[in-house]
Amino acid sequence: MSRAAALYQRRIATMPGRHRGALTEVRILLALTMVVLAALLVGAMSGSAGLSPNVLLGEWPTPLAWQVWWQLRLPRLLLAALVGAMLAGSGAAMQGLFRNPLADPTLLGLASGAGLAVALWIVLFDGAAGTFGLYGQFLAGFLGALCVCVLVFALGQRRHGQEALFTLLLAGLAINTLAGAMGGVMAFIASDEQLRQLSLWGMGSLSHALWSATLGALIGILPALWWLLRCAPGLDLLQLGELTAYGAGLDAPRLKRRVVVATALGVGLCVALAGIIGFLGLLVPHCLRLWLGPGHRLLLPASMLGGALLLIVADTLARTLASPAEIPVGLLTSLLGGPYFLWLLLKRRAQC
Amino acid sequence: MLSLIDAGFTEAPTLAPLSDHLEPGELTAIVGPNGAGKSTLLSLLSGYRAPGRGSVCLDSKPLSSWAAVELARRRAVVAQKLTLGFDWPVRELVALGSEASPEEVEEVLAMLDLEVLAGRGAQNLSGGEAQRVMIARALCQLRLGRTAGVSANSVLLLDEPTSALDIGQQQRLMRLLRQLAERQRLAIACVLHDLNLAARYAHRVWLLERGRRIAAGPPIEVLDGRILARVFKAKLVTSRQADGSPLVVLAP
Repeated sequence: MSRAAALYQRRIATMPGRHRGALTEVRILLALTMVVLAALLVGAMSGSAGLSPNVLLGEWPTPLAWQVWWQLRLPRLLLAALVGAMLAGSGAAMQGLFRNPLADPTLLGLASGAGLAVALWIVLFDGAAGTFGLYGQFLAGFLGALCVCVLVFALGQRRHGQEALFTLLLAGLAINTLAGAMGGVMAFIASDEQLRQLSLWGMGSLSHALWSATLGALIGILPALWWLLRCAPGLDLLQLGELTAYGAGLDAPRLKRRVVVATALGVGLCVALAGIIGFLGLLVPHCLRLWLGPGHRLLLPASMLGGALLLIVADTLARTLASPAEIPVGLLTSLLGGPYFLWLLLKRRAQC
Repeated sequence: MLSLIDAGFTEAPTLAPLSDHLEPGELTAIVGPNGAGKSTLLSLLSGYRAPGRGSVCLDSKPLSSWAAVELARRRAVVAQKLTLGFDWPVRELVALGSEASPEEVEEVLAMLDLEVLAGRGAQNLSGGEAQRVMIARALCQLRLGRTAGVSANSVLLLDEPTSALDIGQQQRLMRLLRQLAERQRLAIACVLHDLNLAARYAHRVWLLERGRRIAAGPPIEVLDGRILARVFKAKLVTSRQADGSPLVVLAP
């Protein structure tokens, strides 16, 4: 497929009469990148451990302030960018795969599977304790997502076409329900301290970010993002329906495998590191599609940048709004995202 | 040349093994009652479903051993319906998955009277417009625009391309398909429900009944009143037009 992808990319880049040329697409992505960088800068300077704006004028901070910033703020900002990019990027890819604008990474049960694994780790193995805790949590989330991925895949494997997608959706629904119930059981048997740990993590927060976590995210999430980007031409073809896409040279089962595995890897890590951060995967691609159109060659990278931007901004707000206390960022995205999404749907409905 | 060598399906939906080929330069109409296996045969010809027995070969090489990209340059499929999850502009949709140059895309749009629709969203098209967009996309994929070089014995497979077209569009489309077949040495297989379109424009007709091909040949031989009446369980009258081609109408 990669050769087809390359040929197709080269061709479509020279397509005439599109709303935008390839140059405009590059400009859009560049502009988004600049905005993300600007948000990173603002994030770096705000809050209790923020750098003073005088840094830009060449005035270096005290060693202590610098150390705090380097060890707490920078990894957290990078983690926000990576997690945001991954959630929104995999949302865009899932929506393309299911050809449904309401799909997102939580849809297949990946997020809740990862969440359940982390809950098991915290409660049954008392995993929050000790320095090993974070790594264990990290691994548990990844394994949870991977298990769900393998299960969902085994269910969908022997069926074809539309039927396979419905099976995947229903399997996701069942897994979400089951994981929710099991999570309830975990909360029931947890100690008070564990319960607090669980509920804070469940709301989604980036406050655990240390370099160890951020490096793990870099190693796991960057390849997943790259994989998803390479799926863009295939996702475009898939929109024609499976038979036509097959006729146009697409290996649809392989595309599905790649998208699902990349999503499992990336989203599993995201959940383990930052809890379940809602609405990002649904909202960002949806809004960008209204603006940029449905072509995944632009939509996927734009969603990744948009997701990174949104989570950086949301996390900065979460840190500063109720300073020195912190609002869990997942709570913030859901509180802001939910109503906005409803409003968007109502507006769209009025237009139809 | 696309050939079937004793190819069929043993699993449901079944298809009795069949040996034949699609001749370059010819339009083959696949006709038969609902559920006779027309679409199944088309998915066999396209390679979308691998045959349970026998093999399907393009240039005497089994479809399964072709690289997907190479195969896509030689063989395109037009499905019955256009189902889109998202709203694509028509021009982008037509160019999707093709290596055609911008000029070729415009030509193909013109060949199917789609210039006015080129900038519109494909999701709000009428059934007939959507069908023409799908066909235009397949033609682009096979590089059948006028300025493109002569295509190398490509194969075009269509599933009921005329089902949502008005009578004038049907005529223009079938005429275009026949012309493409003859001028570009294209082998076309086309599932048709309208027997008169098959009679008028096909070089050959394959008649299917319950997963079995029961007749194949020039329309004048296959579209015989008595056979059709039996296969379709309908009261039919067949007559001859001035040029000798069969005409099938319902009996009162």
